[in-house]
Amino acid sequence: MFIHIENMRFTYSLGMPFETEVLKDINLEIDKGEFVGLIGHTGCGKTTLIQHFNGLLTPTSGKIYVEGVDLNKKGVNLKLIRQKIGLVFQYPENQLFEETIYQEIAFGPKKLGLPEEKIEKRVREALKMVDLDYNFYVERSPFSLSGGEMRRVALASILSIRPKMLILDEPTANLDPQGRDNILSEIKKIHYNFGMTVVLVSHNMEKVAETVKRLLVMYRGEIIMDGTPQEIFERHANDLIKVGLGLPQVTECMHKLKAKGKDVYTGVLTVDDAEREVLKKMKKPLKR
Amino acid sequence: MKILRNISFGQYIPRDSLIHNLDPRIKILSCLAIIVSLFLITKFSGYLILGNFVLISIIISKVHPKFVFRGLRPILFIILFTLIIHLFMTEGKVIYQLGFLKITQEGLIKGLLISFRLFILILATSLLTLATSPISLTDGIERLLAIFKFIGVPAHEIAMMMTIALRFIPTLLEETEKIMKAQISRGADFESGNIFNRAKNLIPILIPLFVNAFRRADELAIAMEAKCYRGGEGRTHYRELKIKKADILTFTFTVIVTVMVSIMF
Ligand SMILES: Nc1ncnc2c1ncn2[C@@H]1O[C@H](COP(=O)(O)OP(=O)(O)OP(=O)(O)O)[C@@H](O)[C@H]1O
Ligand SMILES: [Mg+2]
Repeated sequence: MFIHIENMRFTYSLGMPFETEVLKDINLEIDKGEFVGLIGHTGCGKTTLIQHFNGLLTPTSGKIYVEGVDLNKKGVNLKLIRQKIGLVFQYPENQLFEETIYQEIAFGPKKLGLPEEKIEKRVREALKMVDLDYNFYVERSPFSLSGGEMRRVALASILSIRPKMLILDEPTANLDPQGRDNILSEIKKIHYNFGMTVVLVSHNMEKVAETVKRLLVMYRGEIIMDGTPQEIFERHANDLIKVGLGLPQVTECMHKLKAKGKDVYTGVLTVDDAEREVLKKMKKPLKR
Repeated sequence: MKILRNISFGQYIPRDSLIHNLDPRIKILSCLAIIVSLFLITKFSGYLILGNFVLISIIISKVHPKFVFRGLRPILFIILFTLIIHLFMTEGKVIYQLGFLKITQEGLIKGLLISFRLFILILATSLLTLATSPISLTDGIERLLAIFKFIGVPAHEIAMMMTIALRFIPTLLEETEKIMKAQISRGADFESGNIFNRAKNLIPILIPLFVNAFRRADELAIAMEAKCYRGGEGRTHYRELKIKKADILTFTFTVIVTVMVSIMF
């Protein structure tokens, strides 16, 4: 088990006039090699939760273990934890600062004290993972890139640390549909080709649902649902709407068909699946 | 990272109290009166009276003293430092000697007086910012500065710059924290190393912070222009400041206390 969380709670500004309890009794396990989506309404505590995974925040109470190591214990090497768990913040392009893209991506490996040849190898490898051409990009300034490219460079600057687990906070926010699809397909590739454990945070479930294999739904600081996207959309449609999330459009369409008395499977996530399901249930198959 | 959130300077704590409801101009002028008299007083008894005056104001304001005294934390070092300098550096009657260090009676008195002065000064100004919302504070400053318009003081522009600066302090702190966390996740280390290394380690924070701040300033300028902002000329106020009876009474009382204390002690 990679990450294990027991009865974790967290309060911001503890003891100050504005203290707010943001996480209430989180219990969670994430295994190696999983591909998890974390969704929930704005302000439900997603960002707060993932910042506990690499020890940026410390629980107010409860326990969190990474590969069996208790993060709250005195003397834990948090640097080592942060090397294992790569956390990509929301709008990571706002954290770029180096003169060239090479230096930007080499920042992490340099801090690990690697020799120059190894650093270069890692920069090449990371750029390749995010589909950017090494020779074309290395010498350019990160500030001369488009928003989508900047975000890929920022992602590469985490990948160059070679984390075992990748956490992405709203990686598709503020991108156009094509940029969004590109990033998602790169994340998919990283998961499938390198076996990386991935946690994908979003409040837009449409795309996330068809990308991940396991979905966690948060509501006001608690994880209220946990299962495959199909299970969740099939069984908990009403609850999802109640917590302000709604369903992907195709799924909603299938639920409406069902409500009209058609016996269709409602756990579909993509238009293609929906088409197949509807055709299957039609009495007279359409001629195409 | 904890440090950033514990800065209480300028943090307004809303309450419904006499002090909160006073006209900001009255509060600013009263605070100035206290500060001026702090520098005129030369005796302990004077500080005792002024100190009590400020303490009573804190109680009336319903702001928990904890928050007011928190304002002292950053300058505690300065107070201690001046106290020690005065203790050992003043010539006079020796009352305690340790090797070549000697504490003199005059030094002790002078040091304590100055400590009290700084102490009360910070308490009074903290109370001012804690019990006055930034908006009404800058409103008050604008109206007070307007008196000097005839010598060319751009009162409105100064107030607008202060409003914007105050408005963005929390934003910048939040952003600094976020950038720090992000760079820590990328392997940066802000807690170890000597002073020079630490300064160098700040680059990954400072550059993104500046880039974002400039971008934000640009956006704000465009937004203001889009809303036809054109300075203070002929501009009216949504909330007009009015002097009420309580304001006159409070101000009269403050002036009497501070003038008496300054003259008598
Ligand atoms: N540094 C902070 N100090 C105090 N409160 C905070 C801080 N960061 C977040 N909060 C509060 O904690 C709650 C949860 O915030 P969080 O950022 O974890 O939400 P989120 O699920 O990531 O939301 P979003 O989808 O908008 O990113 C919010 O109500 C927010 O106002
Ligand atoms: Mg968030």
